[in-house]
Amino acid sequence: MIFQKTHGIHIDGRKAMSKKLPLEEYFNPENVYIHLIKNIGPLISKVEVGDSVLVGQVVAVREGFGEMNVHSSISGTVTAIKKVWHASGKMVNAIEIKNDFKNNLDPSIKPNKNIDSLNREDLINLMKNAGLTGLGGAGFPTYIKYQTKQNIDTVIINAVECEPYLTCDYSFIIKYPEKLLKGLKYFMKAADAKKGVIVYKAYNKGIKLALNDFINNYENISLYEIEDVYPAGWEKYIIERVVGKTYTGLPSEVGVIVNNSSTAITFSDIVEHNIPLISRPITITGEGIKEPRNFYVPIGTKVSELIEKCGGYTGDIVPAKANYIAGGPMTGKAILIDDLVVSDTLGGVIVNPVPVKLQVECMGCGKCADICPAYLTPTEIKKALDYKDVSLIKALNANNCIQCGLCSYVCPSRREISTAVSKAKDLLRKGAK
Amino acid sequence: MARFAGGNAPYLRIADQKGKNTNTIMRDFIIALIPVILFAWYKNGILVFIDGNTDFLGMLYPLFYIFVGGISSILMEAIFYYITDSELRKIKPLFSKLSTSYSVIPGLLIALMSPMYTPIWVLMFGVFFGNIIAKMLFGGFGKNIFNPALLGYAVIKFGFMGAITAAGGYFNASEILVDAYAGATPLVTLSGSNLTYASVVAPYGNLWDFFVGMTPGGLGETSVLVMLFSYLWLSFRKVIKWSTPLIYVGAFFLLSWIVGALNGEPGIWFPLYAIFSGGLVYGAVFMATEPVTTPSNPIGKIYFALMLAVLTVLFRYVGNLPEGVATSILLMNIFTLPIDKYTGIIRANRWKKPVWGKIATLVVILIAIGFYAVVKAGSVYTTIILPIIRISGVI
Repeated sequence: MIFQKTHGIHIDGRKAMSKKLPLEEYFNPENVYIHLIKNIGPLISKVEVGDSVLVGQVVAVREGFGEMNVHSSISGTVTAIKKVWHASGKMVNAIEIKNDFKNNLDPSIKPNKNIDSLNREDLINLMKNAGLTGLGGAGFPTYIKYQTKQNIDTVIINAVECEPYLTCDYSFIIKYPEKLLKGLKYFMKAADAKKGVIVYKAYNKGIKLALNDFINNYENISLYEIEDVYPAGWEKYIIERVVGKTYTGLPSEVGVIVNNSSTAITFSDIVEHNIPLISRPITITGEGIKEPRNFYVPIGTKVSELIEKCGGYTGDIVPAKANYIAGGPMTGKAILIDDLVVSDTLGGVIVNPVPVKLQVECMGCGKCADICPAYLTPTEIKKALDYKDVSLIKALNANNCIQCGLCSYVCPSRREISTAVSKAKDLLRKGAK
Repeated sequence: MARFAGGNAPYLRIADQKGKNTNTIMRDFIIALIPVILFAWYKNGILVFIDGNTDFLGMLYPLFYIFVGGISSILMEAIFYYITDSELRKIKPLFSKLSTSYSVIPGLLIALMSPMYTPIWVLMFGVFFGNIIAKMLFGGFGKNIFNPALLGYAVIKFGFMGAITAAGGYFNASEILVDAYAGATPLVTLSGSNLTYASVVAPYGNLWDFFVGMTPGGLGETSVLVMLFSYLWLSFRKVIKWSTPLIYVGAFFLLSWIVGALNGEPGIWFPLYAIFSGGLVYGAVFMATEPVTTPSNPIGKIYFALMLAVLTVLFRYVGNLPEGVATSILLMNIFTLPIDKYTGIIRANRWKKPVWGKIATLVVILIAIGFYAVVKAGSVYTTIILPIIRISGVI
C-alpha cells in the first residue's frame, strides 16, 4: 500500500456463460464494412463503388506514421462507402462489400515455403503489409513495437484477458494452441528475443492444458500464471511480475515487448500462409443474450448478425432499450443500438439491461485512492480539474492513469470519477501545448 | 451522438450491486451504533433502575435522550431544506433528499457523546449547530469541513457546561451517590492531581471497569469493550479503514507510556487508563474515521491518525484540556485538505525525489509537535535536564 507495486482487485469475471460453447467460425456474412480508420489514423480507400474485390485484397492504406495496408475480409463487390458505428463509439466511414459467397482468394495468399530463411526485417515487413494491429483493444500497429532500437530480451504473450465477460482470447487459444506457440516463435525471431513467456490468468487453467501438449517442441517458451485480479492484463502489471522490472514509458525500456495472444495467432497465419489481418475472434455475451458464445469472424461483420446466431435476445430484453457495450465492461463504450460492426479493436459485445443508477455525493471514503493500480488519488485530481489547476494535475501525475476504470467501479456513491480523471488528462494534454 | 447512452465506462459498478453502495455503508454505520446505544441504556438506565435509584421513566430516559438527538437532527434538516430549496417543499423529493443525506447520524453521535443530564434544549442546540451550521451551511453531506457531530458537541461542551452541570451533568442517579468520585469524571481527576494509580484509577474501580465502561463519562462513550465490537464490525464491513483507529490509539498508547514514565510512573496501567478514558476510543472509531472530514488518501489517513495522537497528548497532558480528543480531531479536520493534496502528490510520484521536500515537511511537523508535547508533558526540563545541569555545576 505504501511501498508500491502495481496491484488490483478480484472482480467477478462472469466469463462462464460464453465459455460453454466452443469458438464458432463464421465466415459468410451478408455484407462486411471495412472501417476507414485504424488505431487513430484515417485510411485512404483504394477501391471505388462497383469494384470487385478478393479475400485479402488491399482495399485501403494508411499513410504517414504507422503506414500499413488494410484488406478485404471477403470476396464480392464494393457497393457503397457509408458511415457505420465503430467500437470507439463514433460513426466512421466504411467500405461496404457485398459477399458473393465464392470466397475467391487474392493471389498473395499462399503458403510460405521458406519460413526458416525469414530474417527480422522480413518478419517486420510481413506485419506491416498484413496490417497487423494489436487485437487486445488499443489497436496499436504491431510492427512499430518491433522496430525499436532497444535490445529486446523477452516477448510476452498477454493471454490474461482481465476484463470481465470477455472470453474471445481464451477460446481462440483453446482452438488453435499450436498457432499461438508458432506466432510467439516468429515474434521472438522478429525481435531477436531469447525468451518467450505466455501469461495467463489463474482462472483460465484451460490455456495451460491446451498448450501442454505442444510446448515442449518449442525452445525457450514458458508459461506464467498470474492471479485472478483486475487489471492483471495491464502491461506494467505483467512485466513487474514476469520480469521483475518496472518502467515509465514503453516496455521496450526494460527489453520487453508485450503482444496479445490473438495477435500472435493471427501472426502465425500471416507468416505461414500470408493471410493478412482479415478476421478476429469476438465474444457476444451478457445477461441479455440467449446463448452467449465466441465467434471467429471476418472483420466488418455486423454484430446484429452475430447476435441472431446466438439465438437472439433473452425474453426480458427489449432490443431498443438494452445497453450494448462495445469492448469490455470496464473500458468499453456503451451504445444504444446493435448495428455495430466488428473492427480489429472490438473484442466483445455485451448486452445487458440498462442498470438503475443511484448517485449520491462523494463522501471522500478514499476507496478509489486505495484501489488505484497506478497509485493516484482520483478525488484530488477531480478537485484540481474543477479548479482547472493544470500544474496540480501534473503534480498529481494524472498522466499515469491507465483508464482501467477501477476507481469508478469501487465508488459506493457511483461517482463518474474515472471520467473526471480522463478529462483531467485531456486538460493536461491541451495545457502542455 | 443522441443514441449514445448507458453512461460512462466502466459499466460494472460495485454501487449497482445490491448492498454495496453508500446507503449500505451508512446503514452499517448506524448498526455499529446500536450496541453503543444499548450499552448507554444498560449503564445509565437499566442498572440504575435495578439499583432502585430511579423510576421506570427514568430507566427509559437514556433511550429517549438518544432518540431526541436523532429525530431532532432529521427534523432540523428537513426544515432547512424546506426553507432554502423551493423544489424540496413536497413530501416525496424531500424524503428522497433526506434519505441520501444521512442526517440521523450526527444527532445520534452528539447524544451519545454528551453528558446524560444535558438539558434537551442544549442537546438540540448542539444538534442544530452540528447538523445545520457545520454541515448544511457548508453545502450538505460530503461538503462539510468539520465533523458535524464533534462541532456540535464542542459547542455544548464549551458553551453550556454550566447549564449541564446545573441539570445533573455527567453522573447518573447511581454514580452521584458514590462519594469517591468527588463530583469529577476520571479525566478531570487526571488534570487536577498528581499521577498515581491510587488517585487516578482507584476511585473508579480498576482498569477492567474502565475497559467495560462502568465509569462516569459521556452517555455512550465510556465502554471500550462495546466500541471494540463496533470497530470490528465497521472494519469487517469496510465502512471505515481499519488502520486509522489502530494507529491513533496505538500511537497515543506509546506516547502516554513515555509521558507517564518521564513523570515517574512507568507502569502499564497509565497508558491503558489513558486510552480507556475520555472517549478516546469513541473518537478513534467513530470520528477519526468519518470519511467526509478526514483524508481520503491512504497515506494521508495514516498521517492524520499520527497527528491526532500527537495533538491529543499535547491537549490532554500539556493543555490540561479534558476534551483532548474532540479538540484534536476538530483541529485536524481543518488540515484534511492540505494533507490530501500533499499525500496525493507524494503517492502519485511514488516517494521519488521530486516530493522529498513535501515528505520532509510533513515529517518535521509531526516530529516537532510530538517532541514538544512529550518533553513538556513529561516535564523533561524540570525533572531531567535541570538536575543534570545542576549536577554539572552550570547553574
